[in-house]
Amino acid sequence: MAERLLELDGVSLAFGGLRCVSDLDLHVDEGEIVSVIGPNGAGKTTLFNLITGIYEPDEGDIRLAGESIVGLQPHQITRRGIARTFQTLRLFLNLTVKENVMTAAYGHTKAGIFRSMLRTPGMRREEREISELANQKLAFFGERLMGYRWNQPAYSLSYANRRRLEIARATATNPRLLLLDEPAAGMNPVETHEITELIGKLRTEGGYTILVIEHDMHVVEGISDRVVALDHGTKIAEGTFVEVATNQGVIEAYLGLGTAETK
Amino acid sequence: MQFFIQLSLDGLTIGSVYALVALGYTLIYGVLKLLNFAHGDVFMVGSFIGYGVLQALGGASDPVVPVWLLLVLVTLAAMVGCAVLGVVIERFAYRPLRNAPRIAPLISALGVSFFLSNSMQLEFGAQQFNYASYNLSGGALYFHGFDLDHVHIPLLRIITIGSAFALMVVLWFLVNRTRTGKAMRATSFDREAAAMLGIDIDRVIVFTFILGSALAGAAGVMFALRVPTFAAVGFTTGLKGFTAAVIGGIGSIPGAMVGGILLGCAESYTAGYWTTAWSDLVVFSILIAFMIFRPQGLFGRVDIRKV
Amino acid sequence: MSEWLPPESESPEEAVPTTGPAVGRDEWVAREGERRVSRAGWAGTVEERLRRVPWWAWLMLFVAAGSLMPVFESSGYVRLVGFNTVVYMMLALGLNLVVGWGGLLDLGYIAFFGVGSYVYAIFDSAKFGYHVPSILIIPAATIVGALVGLLVGLPSRRLSGDYLAIVTLFFLELFETVATNGNQIFGHDITGGSFGISTVFPLSFAGHTLAVQHNGIFAVSYYYLAIVMFVIVYVSLFFVNNSRTGRAWRSLREDPLAAEVMGMPVNWLKLTSFATGAGVAALAGTISTALNASVYPLNFSPVVLITLYAMVILGGSGSQPGVVVGAFLVSVLLQVLQDPGQARVLFYLVIVVGVIAAYRVSVRLAIVAASTAVFGIATHAIAASFHHSWVDGAHGGLAGVLANWVVVPERLTPWVGQVAYLLLLVGMLCATQLRGRLRLVTLPPTLYLAAFVWENQMIPNPGPARYIVLGLLLIVLMIVRPNGLLGERRVEIN
Repeated sequence: MAERLLELDGVSLAFGGLRCVSDLDLHVDEGEIVSVIGPNGAGKTTLFNLITGIYEPDEGDIRLAGESIVGLQPHQITRRGIARTFQTLRLFLNLTVKENVMTAAYGHTKAGIFRSMLRTPGMRREEREISELANQKLAFFGERLMGYRWNQPAYSLSYANRRRLEIARATATNPRLLLLDEPAAGMNPVETHEITELIGKLRTEGGYTILVIEHDMHVVEGISDRVVALDHGTKIAEGTFVEVATNQGVIEAYLGLGTAETK
Repeated sequence: MQFFIQLSLDGLTIGSVYALVALGYTLIYGVLKLLNFAHGDVFMVGSFIGYGVLQALGGASDPVVPVWLLLVLVTLAAMVGCAVLGVVIERFAYRPLRNAPRIAPLISALGVSFFLSNSMQLEFGAQQFNYASYNLSGGALYFHGFDLDHVHIPLLRIITIGSAFALMVVLWFLVNRTRTGKAMRATSFDREAAAMLGIDIDRVIVFTFILGSALAGAAGVMFALRVPTFAAVGFTTGLKGFTAAVIGGIGSIPGAMVGGILLGCAESYTAGYWTTAWSDLVVFSILIAFMIFRPQGLFGRVDIRKV
Repeated sequence: MSEWLPPESESPEEAVPTTGPAVGRDEWVAREGERRVSRAGWAGTVEERLRRVPWWAWLMLFVAAGSLMPVFESSGYVRLVGFNTVVYMMLALGLNLVVGWGGLLDLGYIAFFGVGSYVYAIFDSAKFGYHVPSILIIPAATIVGALVGLLVGLPSRRLSGDYLAIVTLFFLELFETVATNGNQIFGHDITGGSFGISTVFPLSFAGHTLAVQHNGIFAVSYYYLAIVMFVIVYVSLFFVNNSRTGRAWRSLREDPLAAEVMGMPVNWLKLTSFATGAGVAALAGTISTALNASVYPLNFSPVVLITLYAMVILGGSGSQPGVVVGAFLVSVLLQVLQDPGQARVLFYLVIVVGVIAAYRVSVRLAIVAASTAVFGIATHAIAASFHHSWVDGAHGGLAGVLANWVVVPERLTPWVGQVAYLLLLVGMLCATQLRGRLRLVTLPPTLYLAAFVWENQMIPNPGPARYIVLGLLLIVLMIVRPNGLLGERRVEIN
């Protein structure tokens, strides 16, 4: 059996009286792609915020490769090897496309202010490495983010390309675990198809373990080794796509017992 | 003990002025999420308007109307004048920047503050303007009053503190018991959602500026009844005002009141038991202490980070 | 240039559709929208050529031009103004680091300028008898400034920009208090109180003293030294901006939470940005104090702060060349406003250019110009018919020419001035709101009133007048052009 990369153990979180996540167990193995599904408000993004340290759980433990990461600052967690994208797209809009990727190298580079001021040889070497890294991460997206766009500010990118850039930026932190928050949201069918292939490629070529939130069932079906369904902050089903998709509890959660909710 | 009562009285008087100014900051911050740096200067303009009306009515020593009416008229004029000024500032300096990055209206507010204080200096000079309140009906407002443990408490102080509290009660009533107040609270909670529910955001914001600025106008008069006013007074008083608002928990009405009184007393005790020169240092230390140990202030809520 | 053709670099891939599905229409539109469209014709060519000039070439050009100034200007006063301008440029660069890159509203910035000045003055003056060599005291003051910045930033590190603004503004106020009352700290005199320290030694290197004055006028050596320091600051900050730290600063300006999640320690970065800015300010303080041979608490009032903000905003916060140009322009503006003749020329120039810019060359422009002129002559005639002293205030030069148009009484009754000022404000506010004919009607009296207020109140009181102008400049800039002259337009969410 592969190594447990991420483990959540009885994690709970409440805001005031509202329980967002309660007693959640979840694990992601090395090299796996796990999808998290669930209706709106099921606590999926909250789960990501817990893993990345933006929220701290009230109870329970979160472990990365066996070590607890509860109580660490988000940037410390990123350095340990977890990177994420945002559902609502949080790029550094006024930085150039390439700079967006280069910023993510902050955690694993060293040059301080004084060395930067003096442009020491070591600093310049590191700068070249960062630039190389950014080129490499951007090249991963093939022609989509190629060449002439790298010196443009990120705001000039189309919606789909912003999503791609977010993924490129996340991978530049050199993570082991990649959290993707609705990577296909707002994309047209062609682009959705591409993103499905891309996520597969991220595992095979990039070597990342991936935890992904997705609403588009075609994407979920196309990529997942395992699917976890959440509702009201609790896990209601887990297993292969077919198992989860045919689970009575999941269908009820989505259809809300008689009320037709389309998503 | 007598000295302590004397200092407390002083602290309460200046504290109620700070509280009124802090209320303006808090109201405007609540609705617009904007630190209105110009608020201190609105306060200063209020004290000038009060002075102008006082002189127009014959001055403190020889007023053409009864003293109580004089005080009411002076205060009302300052309140109305400041309300108009507040609305004009909002309309021309802040509204165009409603959707701009956060830093833009702040810098615009700095500009307004600077513009107002220097305009007053250009028109009226940098000298002090004294209400000469001890001349009001031959000093009666000072002689009358009552004694507490052999400390004389002048009537004017009682009037000042009393009317400050009365204004706060009125404000509390407006915000918590009226439809517009409800709209204000809704807007401060979530502006977009409030707009979608059919609340006229522009009206709410204008109303907030009217309330806040009118309070600053009243505070200006109360301030100037105690010590002379001058064109540069807005900066320091404004600074104390929003420090009070932060200490009380910015966005909270009772917080602003308590913060103001606290600050006034802290200043007064420092001046009395130590030295006037370092009262700023004490107030700054209090501010820093709050920043470190209780950044949300006395009555503020802790915000949940939204992602 | 045909914009719909893909650039050459991409054409191979475009020509041969690669694997995968065909490109959808939305995707095509999005791609075309992403292409930077350059201006057509010669303007575009010039723009493209200028863009290719490397940054250091601009800097060298600028420094060369600046260095030649003393060659053409022998006046000690002008050279001193030049020196002060260079100090302002350094200060603006530091403030730009904090506000433009870090996105932190630092309202105590001038206090760090003061810290640098006081450290220099205390350890290098006859007052306390210390005489630390400049080569030591300049870096020391810079570091002390940065450390104080670190301390001030510390309590507000977790908090949003608003709280930082309060703490820093209060710190500025506190700095003034401490400097003013520093002559009685537990019986010790540390800062010289409100009289400051006025026996500061000039800079000295290896036993040689760099005299402040040469034959009674300002010594140019200080001007060149300031330029050298400016270049060092400019280049170092340029390098930092293009390093991992600089990129991290700018990302936390854009989105602190995303920056944190991307592995950047946001609190620490805020502190370093704040402290580095403070260090730059302190550095500027040392040389400025050495030249002025004195330091007073009032040198560090909020007035200087607003001036600096006006410089940074006017030039374009976030852009190094921008804030340097902004510092230059505002510095010149403040000088011009002090001289009645120049201030007058500037005022009418701005009015004329402004009206032309608003109406272009059109019939309406002619109407506005003519009616303003007639309005003035009529008002002047009416005023003169009451009493000649009403129009006797102006003499000579441009003022003499205008004397038949603007009413300038020998002595202006205060309330007339106050009412005129109030009316002018009302008129200006109306003019921004009204459109079409109504604006055409309100404009001439407003313009005339502006001239009246300018001649009668602003010119005789350059002190408040120049800061009124700066305050207005800040408001108008934020509304009309928040990116300033040379700043890139920023796109913001929220």
